[in-house]
Amino acid sequence: MALTIKEQLSSPGGILKFLVKYNTIFIFILLVIFSALISDVFFTSVNLSNLLKQVSGIGIISIGMLIVILTGGIDLSVGSMVALLAVTFAILVNIFALPLAILMTIVIGFGLGSVSGYLVAYQKMAPFVATLALMTIARGLSFIYSKGSPVTFTTVGGQYMSNFANNATLGIPNIAIVFFIIVICTMVMLRYNVFGRLIIAIGSNEEASRLSGIKVNKYKFLVYAISGALAATAAIIVASRTNLGSPNMGMAWELDAIAAVVIGGASLNGGKGTAINTLMGVLILGLIGNILNLLNVPSYPQQVVKGAIIIFAVLLQRFESK
Amino acid sequence: MKNSENEYRLEMTGISKSFGVVSVLKNVNLKVKPAEIHALLGENGAGKSTLIKILSGVHQKDAGTVVLDGQEVNPKNTHEGQILGINVVYQELSLVNDLSVAENIYLHKLGANKTWMNWKGLIQDAQELLDSLGFKIDASAKVKNLSIVQKQVVEIAKAISEDTKVLVLDEPTTVFDPKDVKKLFNILFKLKEKGISIIYISHHLDEIFSIADSVTVLRDGVDTGSMAIADTDKDGVIHLMIGRELKDLYPARNIKIGEVPIFEVKNLTAKDTMVHNVSFHVKPGEVLGIAGLGGSGRTETAKLIFGADKKKSGTLILEGKEIKTNSPVDAAGYQIGFVSEDRKEEGVFLPLSIRRNISVTSFDAISSKLGFINVENEYKKVLGLIEKLNIKTPSSEVNVKNLSGGNQQKVALAKWLSIDSKVIFIDEPTRGVDVGAKIEIYNLINEVAKKGVGVVVISSDMPEIMGISDRILVMHEGTFYGELQKEQFSEENILRYSIGEPLKQYN
Repeated sequence: MALTIKEQLSSPGGILKFLVKYNTIFIFILLVIFSALISDVFFTSVNLSNLLKQVSGIGIISIGMLIVILTGGIDLSVGSMVALLAVTFAILVNIFALPLAILMTIVIGFGLGSVSGYLVAYQKMAPFVATLALMTIARGLSFIYSKGSPVTFTTVGGQYMSNFANNATLGIPNIAIVFFIIVICTMVMLRYNVFGRLIIAIGSNEEASRLSGIKVNKYKFLVYAISGALAATAAIIVASRTNLGSPNMGMAWELDAIAAVVIGGASLNGGKGTAINTLMGVLILGLIGNILNLLNVPSYPQQVVKGAIIIFAVLLQRFESK
Repeated sequence: MKNSENEYRLEMTGISKSFGVVSVLKNVNLKVKPAEIHALLGENGAGKSTLIKILSGVHQKDAGTVVLDGQEVNPKNTHEGQILGINVVYQELSLVNDLSVAENIYLHKLGANKTWMNWKGLIQDAQELLDSLGFKIDASAKVKNLSIVQKQVVEIAKAISEDTKVLVLDEPTTVFDPKDVKKLFNILFKLKEKGISIIYISHHLDEIFSIADSVTVLRDGVDTGSMAIADTDKDGVIHLMIGRELKDLYPARNIKIGEVPIFEVKNLTAKDTMVHNVSFHVKPGEVLGIAGLGGSGRTETAKLIFGADKKKSGTLILEGKEIKTNSPVDAAGYQIGFVSEDRKEEGVFLPLSIRRNISVTSFDAISSKLGFINVENEYKKVLGLIEKLNIKTPSSEVNVKNLSGGNQQKVALAKWLSIDSKVIFIDEPTRGVDVGAKIEIYNLINEVAKKGVGVVVISSDMPEIMGISDRILVMHEGTFYGELQKEQFSEENILRYSIGEPLKQYN
């Protein structure tokens, strides 16, 4: 039987083991305590809600990245997809009714993701290469369709969306609520849904999955399509926050998303990773940025710290697997 | 003292080796003279490969001594073995496909002590070496463009490009046609004239009797005899290779076998493997054994039927209806199961829990239309199977990588038992499994058969396949060479069919 938390803590070397096992949450809590001690402004609702707003977009694509990584793949196109789909949404919302514009954007995201999915699953292209190509294509298209400058929302629908994105419900920013709902749905899917079970199985042993009669290609195709749809959702949120869609959005977000998933303990070989830990990874990355901003640390040293945290987190996970 | 030892080039004495608790070699002796071709014989799993790997430095022996030219040697890796003059040509080719033939032959010397390469000289040397072997191969060609026979020749050239004292060939002729075999033998005779000792592993008794000077036979990790080839004959060797009693390992079978075949295969031929013209049927409740040597196409046949390999032609008939299995998804849809011989790579999901492993094939039964899993049913099903199969584990949430081989195998079986299969192929059901778990697995196979499932068991373990099968088909070079009824079961008969010999007639 699985040990309870209490039993784990009281077993020999228990505390250390416990900390190693839940290292992501542990790092997160440490960072929160550290931030609270070091800055008076940290625990203000303005700062916290800013933090949540900042991480929501990257958070949503990180979830897409997680399910792709669970199958043993990778999706480098998500950052550029956010730009292309933000521009797309801005154009669409200026033409169509809001619900239709949202739906169309998500469908287009799903379609673009399907292209990567098709190349990886059915053409046996390396995920890194297929999504690298899509990344370039999406960025290029976003500049073409926007003619190189941001597309501003001009309609009532756009205004409504912008209000939604900048307001809060019960003190929690609306866009963070969208992010959390996606995290919870993914959590449930990975634990209790056949889809989630099978993508984990595929990532942990693709050949055994194939020989178990699992439709490996179908599921590999689907994870990229879903990642595309999630990139669309992120794009809508990010565009709505600023009232416009810009081809410069989402620069290098794919790298932050990968970092968040990895900090969350997922294995790039596939088969290992959870939504809650990816959420922690997203929050940890966001927190580091936030606290360094509060301390007025310029952005270049921030990058160094981020990199160091990634190394630290992954080294810590090595203990766990031993 | 030195003089008396000089009779032998190589003396391996009292070699023992265990992997974990499994003892593979027990006090084995192998003595080879200079300028001698020495055949090493034994069934699959008798320990030949392990013995060779100890000689070449891949494995380290637990006990015993290896003496080469009067000096005790102890190679810790293949590089040290090569420096000593021990070179092995393995069954699996170990060439680098993207490099040229010449680069492959001198791979170990590339860049040694030199800053700049003399490509011209390298290719010239390689060409001379290849020409001396009598095969037409261009030394500057890329290895990937060679035929499999040519690759094998390059392997041999690579092995003798060094100062070789002992050359080991592990089943070198499996890919050769008779003409090439003759050429290979000529090479071997030449090498022998040069004074090289050759250890030759093969299942083909004809070959051995035409080229070897002496022979050592292994059985179950023990050497059962060593003699000059002139002092023995085929029957004598076969007797040494087998000759053990069936133990009480195998449960009695008294299952009523159906009359009408549940599954039938007609003239099945593969697109990419050697399997051709395979026809057989299995009846409900029957355990059909498939025997044959390693590389005879047994696993490939099962994978072909299961849709994992591509078919060229042939018909599959399940319960009287023709079916098509173009992928494992199709096969699983028709309730055909397949338990792979390669448990770790193809059978189980090592990093996942027992529960997640077992339910992977049975989601249809335990989930709603939208794919939501009824966890309560899942646990019930999984815990039931854990108990039934006697999988030794503290809980269903233990990762499969933490289980013993036998218990991992039971998980792989459970995956297919959790759904109602109509036909189930089990490839090497008990490889690397201890005796206790073996008996449990045999009982399980019986139980499955009792439900009216057609069970096809592939096994290299002769006592096992005779102990559990109702009927045995023997494969030889990609097709069924013969069928044995229960009263004909004997290791000798199986072995004869496996090496393409007719049964001995007793009148």
